[in-house]
Amino acid sequence: MKLSFYPGCSLEGMAVDYARSIDAVFQALDIDLIEIDDWSCCGATAAHSLSEAMSVILPARNLYAAEQMGLDIVSCCANCFNRLRFSQQMIQKRVLDIPWPVTGDLKVHDMTRFLADPDMIKQIEKRVLKPLSGLKLVCYYGCQMVRPPRITGYTDYENPQTLDRISTATGAQVIDWSYKATCCGASIGIARREIGDSLTKRLLDKARQAGAEAIVVSCPLCQSNLDMIQKDGLERPIPIFYFTELLRLSFSDRGNPRWFKTHFANPVPLLKAKRLLR
Amino acid sequence: MNTPVTDQKNVTQPNPAKKRKLIGDRGNYFLNRIQGETGANVSACYQCERCTNACPVSYFMDIKPHQAMRYVQLGWREDLLTSSTIWVCLSCEMCTTYCPNEVGVAEVINHLRNIAAHSSITPKERNLAVFHQTFLEVLRKSGRVNEFRLMNAYYLKPNILHEKIKSGSFKEEILLGLTLFRKGRLKPFTARSKAIKDIQKAYKQARGEIV
Repeated sequence: MKLSFYPGCSLEGMAVDYARSIDAVFQALDIDLIEIDDWSCCGATAAHSLSEAMSVILPARNLYAAEQMGLDIVSCCANCFNRLRFSQQMIQKRVLDIPWPVTGDLKVHDMTRFLADPDMIKQIEKRVLKPLSGLKLVCYYGCQMVRPPRITGYTDYENPQTLDRISTATGAQVIDWSYKATCCGASIGIARREIGDSLTKRLLDKARQAGAEAIVVSCPLCQSNLDMIQKDGLERPIPIFYFTELLRLSFSDRGNPRWFKTHFANPVPLLKAKRLLR
Repeated sequence: MNTPVTDQKNVTQPNPAKKRKLIGDRGNYFLNRIQGETGANVSACYQCERCTNACPVSYFMDIKPHQAMRYVQLGWREDLLTSSTIWVCLSCEMCTTYCPNEVGVAEVINHLRNIAAHSSITPKERNLAVFHQTFLEVLRKSGRVNEFRLMNAYYLKPNILHEKIKSGSFKEEILLGLTLFRKGRLKPFTARSKAIKDIQKAYKQARGEIV
């Protein structure tokens, strides 16, 4: 299977560990992810805040580049996925003049839903060498991946299940909680620290109350927000995993502590205590 | 969570100057304009406050989301464009998703932010507006947004660095940057997008320049 891959800007910087684990997981699953060669930024929140036209045009260029390759797009970042889908709908409605001859016919997949497909779950279960049994997790989806449903196409936007299914397939114990799709504050913490902190702290508190030992995310910004607030070292740190990191860990029989060296809340002691990492 | 539900500072005090302002500045012109430009059915809002209750940051807003919808109906344009609401909004789409009348609350607030950005009004949350602007500037220069370049450009904007040093958080930020660099999460040099010329052309076109 061949797919074109739109990584997004974070994967070159803050989310290098996400990028590495995606490479490893898709290699193990025998899926060719071909990075769109000349991808550019999707504009994120800034583009649609300041100029609605740019928020359609910027992702449209990436859609055009993928159409040249003729392969469906997989995006691993929640906001990139949301913006690509939004731009695609606007192109199909012919709202704006787009400078490139783009049709918007390609499918835009979001990586979690792509891997949570029943067939893919079977593939994942086949490749799990070491089940992550005993690891108590909560799954955190964030907002841009599930909302608004008319753009993302999620029908279970109040209680999304994709990450839950993937995490269960790795053998971990998934705990239900009510803050699956509550916003983490996104980039607001850079300009208004107190707003960002109040939102992320609440999420960590609620995860702890639910009895979770770690949080699984799929969005680079959610990961850095939830992880960086723990930079001063909490009494009981809650490691924030990308779901691909868990898949990579369960696909290998040994594991490697160096995979997690970019984390602020160090997951190595927890994984060693559970005998999941040697 | 121990944040108080109401805070005297954040509650909008009745302004005596506003007392006589019973109708908006241009009849229903503003309502029609917003409805036409966003496709949202603002007239359908019946003030059930579900948007405000769903909003994760309504505590930090001076005009709450349901009030903003009412202000649009009344045509109180200036109050909306000078509010902190339009800049604090995270576009998390909670309000739009849970609205029983399917009013596109987030879309309306986003459009108000667009209007404010293209007007001469000083934004109430200046830092947030400057951050968005910086993001687009960095994007225009390199086609992709590198966090290191973004933060550099943001701190070099007028007043931002001054505020940081004054509040004492500057040293903390530098240390955080160093830690990130040591962990390999901050990359000072990354390649520009190969499609940079196309992006710059699109920027010119969106501004209305002839390419």
